[in-house]
Amino acid sequence: MKRRLLALLFGVLLLAIEMHAQAQIVVIANPNVAVASITKAEMHDIFTGASTSLKDNLQVIPVLLKQGPVQEEFLNLYIGKSDNGFRAGWRGILFSGQGMMPKTLDSEAAVVEYVSHTPGAIGYIGRSTPHEGVISPTVR
Amino acid sequence: MNRNRIATIGAIALLAFSAARSPGQSMDDLKLQVHGYATQGFIYTTNNNWNTADTTDGSPAWTEAVVNVTVQPQPKLRIGVQTRYFLLGNYGNQITLDWAQGDYKVNEHLGFRVGKVKTPIGLLNETQDIDPVQLWVLLPQSIYAIANRNSILSHYGGVIYGSVSLGSSWGELEYRAYGGQRVLSSDDAVFQTVRDKGISLPNGATGPMYGGTLRWQTPLRGLMAGASEDSEHTSGAAVLGALNGGLQATHFYQPYLYAIYESKKWMAGGEYTRQALQKTTAFVGGPTIFIPKDQRAWYAMASYKLSKKIIGGMNFSYSLDRQLPVSNARYQKDWALSARYDVDSYFYLKFEQHFIDGSEFGYSTSDNPGGLKPNTRMTLLKIGVSF
Repeated sequence: MKRRLLALLFGVLLLAIEMHAQAQIVVIANPNVAVASITKAEMHDIFTGASTSLKDNLQVIPVLLKQGPVQEEFLNLYIGKSDNGFRAGWRGILFSGQGMMPKTLDSEAAVVEYVSHTPGAIGYIGRSTPHEGVISPTVR
Repeated sequence: MNRNRIATIGAIALLAFSAARSPGQSMDDLKLQVHGYATQGFIYTTNNNWNTADTTDGSPAWTEAVVNVTVQPQPKLRIGVQTRYFLLGNYGNQITLDWAQGDYKVNEHLGFRVGKVKTPIGLLNETQDIDPVQLWVLLPQSIYAIANRNSILSHYGGVIYGSVSLGSSWGELEYRAYGGQRVLSSDDAVFQTVRDKGISLPNGATGPMYGGTLRWQTPLRGLMAGASEDSEHTSGAAVLGALNGGLQATHFYQPYLYAIYESKKWMAGGEYTRQALQKTTAFVGGPTIFIPKDQRAWYAMASYKLSKKIIGGMNFSYSLDRQLPVSNARYQKDWALSARYDVDSYFYLKFEQHFIDGSEFGYSTSDNPGGLKPNTRMTLLKIGVSF
């Protein structure tokens, strides 16, 4: 009984950590992307260069943050790699002729600005950053 | 005009054409990107000199620099060129073309690359030259021998590629089919055994090649398994002293089987291949020399990310040429311990220690006139920068 209770508490704790982590980051996209939700697998594939489109062959353009806590949280949540490993993956794509480096911007405000003016663009910012002119699909 | 020059001019013409066709587009609209990397290595071996460098005294003769220019004039079209300066011992010391291609991706299921394109063979062929991506200073040499890397990296022709979802329960299947012409340069290390017999190939060797790769991205995220089959049939002119003749390799089919698992901190993988062929060199009024080969090669590797900046790993690489007489010269057994330190996003340092048994490891009798020793320890250092 004790073990079950402990396991339950542990599960609730993990869930709380996960929800807390998700609460700090928001995915944004240009309004022409027009999707209400994106799966975690789609996020992973788009931002690692494994895929360049969402469902219905909708081509999207990933936009990265250069550094900071939001970038680290994004890597933790959706990529599962360190920043060096993540950028090494993109270098592999670039130098083998299979793609180009995604746009990398210095600030969350710059990401919002770029995404709002670039059809197909998709990025991520901290939840507290103002983000008018973009849509915020939920990540399932 | 050689093929490299034609491919370079073709790609530059395509780049210029893209710019000219879009007079209203700025460079930003064309999404022009210029990237590159450079590395400097140091090699020390306890016994045999390696790949024409005087490594038993310690050698810094290992330098590479790469520049990549790519534009994307249309969302589905990319055009790019990548050139490389390569020096390893007496190999290279020149600028060559890695690839120069146009890439049109219709959708996730279908895309085309045309020009001089990377050859999608095995687990690592397309990325084996990209040092900033690798933990290893040297990839497992049983399959990815560095001295003949530049010739098998890419070919003149095309690649058709794409992926098909198998559903959430089965993952995804990626395919690549390719064909065209292989060009092995005259100074390629693949001809070292021929050169050791006093034969030179002034124009290298060329011939048709084709093949395909299937990769299964399994439902277990990070686990990929794949298979490739490569077919090549090369030949070229040969010279032995005053005698003229030709080298002909048999038409061979080379299978590759591989798998890799990557998680946040761990990586483990392995690959197997077999290459069976015979090189025949015949001269008018002179000898006919047969060099048969039946090499089985495999490696296993694993790495662990110790911190954000440090990765450690080890691999074991093995090959055996069953056509060679029983001796230390027919195999290699190489244990390697590696470490990489990322100073920041651009600079990195690498250290690697090899424990090599057998002398089928890129050693040449020309570089080791006292004969090949059965065991060698090799220490490698490398510094790299990418942008």
